[in-house]
Amino acid sequence: MSDIINLDACGLEPPEPMERVLEALSTLGAGDRICMLIDREPRPLYPILERNNFSYETTARDDYLFEILIWHKQ
Amino acid sequence: MQRKLSFEHTPSLSIPLRFFLTAPVFAMLAGLLLVWYGPQALSVRWSPITLALTHLLTLGFLTMSMTGALIQLLQVVVGIVVPHVRLTAAIVHGALLLATCALTCAFLFFSTPLFVLALGFLSIAFLGLLGACLIGMWRMKADNATFAAMRLALVALCITVGLGAVTTNALIGVVALPIVQMTNLHAAWGLVGWVGLLVIGVAYQVVPMFMVTHMYPGRVSRFLAVTLFALLIFWTASHGLPAVKSRSILSVLVVAVLGLFAVITIGLLWKRKRRVPDTTILFWYVSAGSLLACCGLWLVGIMRPELAETPSFALLLGVLFIVGFGYSVINGMLYKIVPFLIWYHLQTRLADIGMKAPNIRKIIPEQAAGKQFYAHGLVLLSMVLAAIFPEQLARLAGVLFIASSLWLWINLLLAGLFYRAALIK
Repeated sequence: MSDIINLDACGLEPPEPMERVLEALSTLGAGDRICMLIDREPRPLYPILERNNFSYETTARDDYLFEILIWHKQ
Repeated sequence: MQRKLSFEHTPSLSIPLRFFLTAPVFAMLAGLLLVWYGPQALSVRWSPITLALTHLLTLGFLTMSMTGALIQLLQVVVGIVVPHVRLTAAIVHGALLLATCALTCAFLFFSTPLFVLALGFLSIAFLGLLGACLIGMWRMKADNATFAAMRLALVALCITVGLGAVTTNALIGVVALPIVQMTNLHAAWGLVGWVGLLVIGVAYQVVPMFMVTHMYPGRVSRFLAVTLFALLIFWTASHGLPAVKSRSILSVLVVAVLGLFAVITIGLLWKRKRRVPDTTILFWYVSAGSLLACCGLWLVGIMRPELAETPSFALLLGVLFIVGFGYSVINGMLYKIVPFLIWYHLQTRLADIGMKAPNIRKIIPEQAAGKQFYAHGLVLLSMVLAAIFPEQLARLAGVLFIASSLWLWINLLLAGLFYRAALIK
């Protein structure tokens, strides 16, 4: 069964959000997903995800937060 | 079991660092000029020595560091990659450095060939910067308040350089133009337009991000920069009209917009979510406080024109805006931007061998930045007083300026050495 790992990075000073998501990525199981909540769009993260074979989907929410869903590419 | 992550190899760290390490050197030179010439450098706004001092700070420190930050932030904030970044940065940096040196010497020795040389280098620097930024920027929709303000700031920079070139031609007698009005326009576009708009745009991102505050109110961030830009255009156009009153009303509106930005920034910092001691926050308070003081002084000058005509008045406005507002915020932000860049590059390089980057707080220790903040506070205080009492305090202010900017330079250099040492380990 696949798990969703919730990662709330709101209110954290850089580079803490990046450190936390990198930590989570390094242990993410096949079929699992990370759901990251952050108060700005994490542009420097995208090339890292692409280079390491992760897929992602960014949603800009009405409350000005961004939700990024990350999973392993099939 | 942990997996090794692979990072994209970002452009070399030396690209932004060369701008950030050059800027404090020009601030030291400004201090040296103050020590050398003493009260002459702060006697009257029109003295060539004062103009040399002003450009060492505005071009050498403010524009040098803002250009380095802009090249970097465009990529991080809006995802615009500057084309041929290594070559562009080398050309812009080299030309800006030579232009500042040539312009300073041109003022000090009142040499026409040096003015021409400075204009040539400035054209190369800014055409390089604008060309590199605008190619990427014009393709994007300005739906981001920071991006929109950055774009307007770059347009303001073009206008500043154009007005500066025309004023220089008037100064060396090539064209006959009202030099006082031209200089006022050049100064307003350079300070309020280029410096003000860029700081406002960058603040929308970095204040909530690094200071962990709430966001700037959406309505304010959407309209502040564009209103300021429009007011500057109307104010400039009003110079062609005989109605002095409308010009005064427009300048009050410019002051109101800048004051609003300062008040909102202080409010956000005051109510920040994470209340840990942080030197950069102190720099932001000093910067926003100086901007408010500058706005207040400007209003006093409008209400009491006889006061605005004293030599100290214009100097005090300049000190509050350039050293108080501009220098403070850049000095403070360098303590966030440089450690972040070093951390990011270390993370990129060390990930290849399965290692983690060290804690960011070790790169520039809080204590080192904190002590330099107090030195900067003394610089600002002494410069404000020296604008009023140049005979007694100009040289002391110069010594303090050299000490504080040397301290900043050492802190940044040690951060660079930390990077090298972490890679060798």
